[in-house]
Amino acid sequence: MVQTFYSGFVIPFIVGTSVLFAVIIYKYVRWMVRLPRRDKLKVWHGLFSVATLKGIWECFTECLLHRRIWRVNPLLGYMHTAFALGWFLLIVVGWVETIAYLGLRFVPLQGHIFFDYFTQDMDHGPRWGINFEVVMDVLLLYVLSGLVLAVFKRFRSRAMGMKRTTKLTLGDRVAMTSLWFVFPMRLLAESFPSQLPLWWGYSIALGVFFVAMPFSRYMHIFTEVPLIFLRRWGITSEAGREKSFDHFQLEACSRCGICIDPCQLQRDAGMRNVQSAYFIRDRRYNRLTRYVADNCLLCGRCQVKCPVGLELDTLRLGSRHSLSGTPSNGRFNYACDVDRSRGEGRVGYFAGCMTLLSPKILRSMERIFTAAGEQVWWADRDGGVCCGRPLKLSGDIEAARDMMRINAELFRNHGITTLVTSCPICLRVFREDYNLDGIEVLHHSEYFVRLLSDGRLTLKPGGTEKMTYHDPCELGRGCGIYDAPREVLQTVGTLVEPAETRDEALCCGSSLANMAVENSSQVAIAQAVGRAFEATGAGEIVTACPLCKKAIARGTSLPVMDLAEVIEQHLA
Amino acid sequence: MKKIIVVGGGPAGMQAALSLVAEGLKPVIVERSGALGGKLRDWHNLFPSMTPAHEVLEGMTKQMENAGVEVMLHTEVEGLTDGGVLLMEGKKLEGEAVIVASGFDIFDARLKEEYGYHIYDNVFTTVDVERMLNKGEVALHDGSAPHGIAFVHCVGSRDEKVNQKHCSKVCCITGVKQAMEMRQLFPDAEIYNFYMDIRMFGPGYEELYQSAQQDFGVNFIRGRVSEASPTIDGRLQIKAEDTLVGRPLKMTVDMLVLIVGMKASSSNEKYALPLSSSGFLTPRDLFSGAVSSDLPNVFYAGTATAPKTIGESICEGSMAAEKVSEYLKSRK
Repeated sequence: MVQTFYSGFVIPFIVGTSVLFAVIIYKYVRWMVRLPRRDKLKVWHGLFSVATLKGIWECFTECLLHRRIWRVNPLLGYMHTAFALGWFLLIVVGWVETIAYLGLRFVPLQGHIFFDYFTQDMDHGPRWGINFEVVMDVLLLYVLSGLVLAVFKRFRSRAMGMKRTTKLTLGDRVAMTSLWFVFPMRLLAESFPSQLPLWWGYSIALGVFFVAMPFSRYMHIFTEVPLIFLRRWGITSEAGREKSFDHFQLEACSRCGICIDPCQLQRDAGMRNVQSAYFIRDRRYNRLTRYVADNCLLCGRCQVKCPVGLELDTLRLGSRHSLSGTPSNGRFNYACDVDRSRGEGRVGYFAGCMTLLSPKILRSMERIFTAAGEQVWWADRDGGVCCGRPLKLSGDIEAARDMMRINAELFRNHGITTLVTSCPICLRVFREDYNLDGIEVLHHSEYFVRLLSDGRLTLKPGGTEKMTYHDPCELGRGCGIYDAPREVLQTVGTLVEPAETRDEALCCGSSLANMAVENSSQVAIAQAVGRAFEATGAGEIVTACPLCKKAIARGTSLPVMDLAEVIEQHLA
Repeated sequence: MKKIIVVGGGPAGMQAALSLVAEGLKPVIVERSGALGGKLRDWHNLFPSMTPAHEVLEGMTKQMENAGVEVMLHTEVEGLTDGGVLLMEGKKLEGEAVIVASGFDIFDARLKEEYGYHIYDNVFTTVDVERMLNKGEVALHDGSAPHGIAFVHCVGSRDEKVNQKHCSKVCCITGVKQAMEMRQLFPDAEIYNFYMDIRMFGPGYEELYQSAQQDFGVNFIRGRVSEASPTIDGRLQIKAEDTLVGRPLKMTVDMLVLIVGMKASSSNEKYALPLSSSGFLTPRDLFSGAVSSDLPNVFYAGTATAPKTIGESICEGSMAAEKVSEYLKSRK
């Protein structure tokens, strides 16, 4: 038997493996070939760089150890590590075992997989001082312990840190069921190596799993590896179009469902079929509807938790762009040459539409500028052109670019060196999409920190009144600004934090990215946010976004203020 | 004889008490403030007949005195209990039935920050205008007369953005009425009404609306004002869209009047009875059960259940009293 490595039962395994590798190679080659030239160049430049080494390390920590999942929940982490690392070691040690017993010679794949069957006549005593049988049995038990948890999770996900898990597709069910059979069948077959039906069972389980795998969520097992390297080499998805690289992201999604619990549309508005796992699933299988693409606040809470680090928001924006049928040609021509700015100064201030609709913030900004003795150029006080972010979030990237071009020219024409904005929505698009070389873009919170540290602004310390701070999505997760507003607030009062804060902060519910979420759902979210802040015992809620301010005020009886208003109240 | 508790001493509550006395029952009015009359005390002339509000109020209070209705002022109801209501500091008031006539709250115009109420000096609400009319001092912040006045309809009505989905019903006609009063005070001023729909549902309302345009020279522009901002010379610039012409417009005025809507009373939650999505108490049905609640001994009257005119609220007061009487008879 050792000589041929053949028995009838290996056929399902061989067929399954062949299909698996044929499909995977077909997919990867196709996606790589279709990468735009720019991305291909990035691959060549990155291949022999330190990025590749970092990628190898990331493959180890994420594909095998699953470090990020451990952070969500240790039991969930253990389950994934047991499957990934356990199975990986079974394969590696299996190969070593083959060499130890058969020497360095060609052994076909099935020879490794069904080693115990083909070598049942051999002495399986220790080789090189290692008792391989025991090692392999321990590894198999390790995987089986993960399997027990996986079965348990299907019925009691809450115990493993997940209130909800994903609904499965048919392909997922076939793959999952066969996967659940693989390891118990292996244990049985290896325990009774002379029983052929057991080997048939093991081989069929493997074969079915391998055939179903590339069409199911288990495609992530392989796809995460190329994704990690491509990402390390600097390839990203784009908001303005769907790209070939997107396929790697879509198929690296394991639909683990960790994105479902943080989603406030699920928690507070009862929407159960629009979360990132479902969006990715629908896009992957070409059945994406506008309903799913549009029902999202793009708050980024799921993206922070995604164990595969997928660009969930960008992928959704790409889809919105593909699905949006609005022609943008010339719609905004009237906005050219609009210059209603006033004042003169090296520092420009851009209010944005939402600040213009919140005149208290604008008034506070004016008083703060005066107190600091700043000469300000007011870009859009008497009206101006939109920053472009709302159009971008709706998928109309071409029209957004028109807005960006018009505004960028306006800023350059007036020779400013610093651009301050009190709107994080504008801030994000200025930083991410505008090319404002020579102009430093600051959020008003960062500008206040600077004024305070330069001694240009002195504030009266506040009383004992406690306040709490809301991290706007676009400012926190969007621009990574968490500390500046807190630093300013701490100079005037006592700050108390809500349960979910900083990069886990809740969305106000009225995100500009919303294309479909109904008003009643937005209010339900705002009320949940309001309750979270009321639970801190604070007397007022401070935020640093005019839109969040309006939105949260709908859900609470506590006063909601912008950072600028608080500062103005404390001007010495 | 056990008492019938009437929560709230506005027009609906006062009429309920008067009708209860007429039925031979003994009402007690529990009123949160220091006087009877509710918001009627703040109004100047009542639409559509321009009857002075104080005439209506005095007529009712005189009847109340003659009937000798018991009134508890400065007393707040905290909720319902078995056989009565719960008052402040855990006190109980026993009664055979309860009529909830606790009225409405005025929408807080500061929530529509874009209109600049309490930010710019010359932005007022219709409630402010009634007060100024009562004082006989209608003027801008600096005491001068306005040359341009704009009324904004539906501030806090039919506006999901501020959780006010409902139509407040009385604001359209209030805007028409106040525009006419302004014309009488300022014959040369430009007066505008910005509206999204004009709902002239009551007797004589449509005639008043016609007259405002034809005889009083009030301009009606169909379109919501999006924002107000100060001009350099201290006036107010408003932006809107004239949706009949299909053009955006900007206009500079001296005085902006926000026609504020009715908000469900925040006290409605205390009764633990069903509320509508806008927060008003939900009557058993909108026909013969319009003043009945889900509880056999609790009845409603006036704007606790929906925006209503003063006349309608008074009608419901009578109707609630009649239903109380029916209920008591049915128990015997």
